[in-house]
Amino acid sequence: MTLLAHAIAAAPPASFPRDGLRGRPLEWSESAATGLGLWSTEWASDFTLERPDALEHHRLVERICDAQPCLPVRFGTAFPSADAARASLESRADALRAALARVAGKSEIALTLLWRRVPAAPVSEPAGGPGRQYMEARRADYAAREAKRARAESIAGRLVAQLATERPLVWHEVCMSESVAVSLAVLVPTELALERKAELSRVAQEFDDVVPVVNGPWPPYTFARNE
Amino acid sequence: MKELTPEETSLLELVDRLLNKGVVLAGKATISVAGIDLIYLGLNVVLAAVETLEKAQERRAS
Repeated sequence: MTLLAHAIAAAPPASFPRDGLRGRPLEWSESAATGLGLWSTEWASDFTLERPDALEHHRLVERICDAQPCLPVRFGTAFPSADAARASLESRADALRAALARVAGKSEIALTLLWRRVPAAPVSEPAGGPGRQYMEARRADYAAREAKRARAESIAGRLVAQLATERPLVWHEVCMSESVAVSLAVLVPTELALERKAELSRVAQEFDDVVPVVNGPWPPYTFARNE
Repeated sequence: MKELTPEETSLLELVDRLLNKGVVLAGKATISVAGIDLIYLGLNVVLAAVETLEKAQERRAS
């Protein structure tokens, strides 16, 4: 038997449905020494995880987070036994307790800014031989990439400033792919999550060269990292 | 450059969080999804996979 990990929490609620992935049993493995435990599904080690399992894991983590403060575990982490899971918790108990305190009562809102497609400028006939043309094209590509990165950083800076929240509660990355200008996550009090989501959406509409996509509230995936 | 729809973006952001964020425990086994080690699966890879899939669908449709 393998245990497929979902979330770490303190003592479980008195009653919690014990349905895990694909209707398999949901297990609670508690480490008495740390006061922490792991929610996991009893899994057969020869089962391959599919996309629906990832989404079901997400729904399960949401359900756990609704019931108690929890730290989502990276999807795909598995243990051969409850003892192995407990040993893993015990080896990093202090960091896990600190992370749990950081996210308790909070949810994550995600904002993605996609570059708005602009019509390509007319290309003039290049001068010089093939070597020069190649170098000119490379220089133009590099300049365009740098300009986009600078613009994305500028947008992210303005967003973070306008969020008026503590910096450790905001994470962002720019230019993750050709389509994505900014990916940003903010940790907000769960009871204010929808209000903050609307605010974030409103602020993000101010930039006319990107298309905002706002998601959440989600479990605090980004802020549960213990690395 | 493929233009992502808001729906694709939402799914990709969620998948990125499931696979690349959250607590990292020293699991004794990392279960793979379709043979890909999850540790090495980043959003860029997911984006590339979606774009490849889209292109393959376009080729089949034409």
